[in-house]
Amino acid sequence: MDHSRASLSFHRRFRNAILGSLTFLFFGVAVAPLLLIVYVAWDRGKSVLDWNFISTLPTGFPVGSEGGILNGIAGSMILVVLASSLSVPVGIWAGMYLWQEGKNPAARAVRLLSDLLLGVPSVVWGIVGFYVFSTSTGYGLHWGFSALAGGLTLGFIMIPIVTRVTEQALRDVPISYIEGAFALGASRWQTLRGVALPGAMAGIGTGILLGILNVLGQTAPLVFTNYYNTGIPNSLVGSQGAVGDLAMQIFIYVHEPSKVMHVKAMAAALVLLAIVLVIDLGIRLLTWGSRKIASRVG
Amino acid sequence: MARMSVASFYAYYGENAALRDISLEIPDRQVLALIGPSGCGKTTFLRSLNRMNDFVKEFSIEGQVTLDGVDIYSSEMHPVMLRRRVGMVFQKPNPFHKSIFENVAYGLRIQGIRSRSILSDMVEKSLRAAALWDEVKERLDSSAFSLSGGQQQRLCIARALAVEPEVILLDEPASALDPISTSRIEELIQDLKTQYAIVIVTHNMQQAARVSDQTAFFLSGELVEMGETSRIFTNPSDVRTEDYITGRFG
Ligand SMILES: Nc1ncnc2c1ncn2[C@@H]1O[C@H](COP(=O)(O)OP(=O)(O)OP(=O)(O)O)[C@@H](O)[C@H]1O
Ligand SMILES: [Mg+2]
Repeated sequence: MDHSRASLSFHRRFRNAILGSLTFLFFGVAVAPLLLIVYVAWDRGKSVLDWNFISTLPTGFPVGSEGGILNGIAGSMILVVLASSLSVPVGIWAGMYLWQEGKNPAARAVRLLSDLLLGVPSVVWGIVGFYVFSTSTGYGLHWGFSALAGGLTLGFIMIPIVTRVTEQALRDVPISYIEGAFALGASRWQTLRGVALPGAMAGIGTGILLGILNVLGQTAPLVFTNYYNTGIPNSLVGSQGAVGDLAMQIFIYVHEPSKVMHVKAMAAALVLLAIVLVIDLGIRLLTWGSRKIASRVG
Repeated sequence: MARMSVASFYAYYGENAALRDISLEIPDRQVLALIGPSGCGKTTFLRSLNRMNDFVKEFSIEGQVTLDGVDIYSSEMHPVMLRRRVGMVFQKPNPFHKSIFENVAYGLRIQGIRSRSILSDMVEKSLRAAALWDEVKERLDSSAFSLSGGQQQRLCIARALAVEPEVILLDEPASALDPISTSRIEELIQDLKTQYAIVIVTHNMQQAARVSDQTAFFLSGELVEMGETSRIFTNPSDVRTEDYITGRFG
């Protein structure tokens, strides 16, 4: 009797210990890359990291060997804003449409299309963007290598991400809330706006965040649509309309045969991480706020 | 006079008939209790009265349901307008993620009512009618989820009352409540029937006997009999009704 109880508890403790260490191990494997990036970037880049680095434009020869990365910071922000202003409204709208229509053939087609778009390699987007937005021999818009061409190309990459996550977040809102609104005589649109969307806001925020983070890390779609600028342009369109971009800047810097540029690339990576952190917190705050507002005005 | 009337009504989930050949009248200013064993179609019937089954895939109907003589499944009655006139309280409390005030005000806001004073008056009136006012009047702005389950259900009743429906459908509204809240709800139903037609699903025979004027007994998707509650409980005409209410099955 005593013996069996003791062995049972031994088994249980053994199992708990195994599960506990596995959890710890997997957690470690999951966060190790981030720690590694931060460690390497900090170790290599900290020597140039100061206020000047983030508040001045690159100078010297090659350009960037002196000065900072303000062009990249500003440019990435501009691209994110442009990409989001296209993809957030379109993606949320498409997600709401898919949620409403559910299984009808048109909705199925949109869903399939959106999933296919998710799988399109970003360099292909770059080429399409080039033909549609940038080149003067292509399909028409003649915007040159510009922030608008690059930002909209990135926006197209973001749309299917926001669409997918919006639809799923709406589906995760419990049916009893939806029915509660319908039973009070709410129309489909009122139910969607007043009950389903606020309930899905956190999920949609996550979708937008995923889209933005994806866009922040892209270089391939920008090569043919915006490329890079060591300054800050006066216009977002036309042959003088290109912006800097942090990811592109890092890519260019590490290809320079210059020790100081490599150090600056690492420091720029740290800045990019910090921006990611700020955007993450910002979106959390926004979704929290918009949920508050939505729940107040119904 | 009958407020709603149901004639030769069939309801199907796909191929399966959940209700067969139901005909009955829902009298105004009275309480109709629906009783019957689990799965006999009470909820299906109730949700057919305000077209909440429209959202169920593969659901279809035959026959007719009228509200004040108008076929509610015809193009003459928009489902949204129907649901404003035929309110519903669900078995499990389902308040919105909003404040107590906004939960009750929701049905009015979606009708476009913006005036703060009208909203406040209606919210207070509805919360009083649902016997919840004294418990929440100090904290109308706190979340509905800070309330107990029983309070949440009374909030849902208040929410339904706020839009001043003509018919109120209650699907086992007290099954999640403690005895004191339950008796409050029962008193409330007695008050409400002076103004509304009320249909209540209940598994509790005593409750049906206490609150209702008419009782309808459902069995396997069919209406076995309907009549004055006092007669159904003392002198049912069908032996199956007698077996059920005396607890011999179900
Ligand atoms: N969404 C649905 N899809 C398919 N069948 C359903 C659905 N809802 C109910 N049914 C079936 O219809 C029949 C009647 O169900 P209903 O929920 O109306 O019964 P009920 O009398 O309310 O039961 P209970 O007392 O347990 O709530 C049951 O056989 C049930 O399985
Ligand atoms: Mg039921």
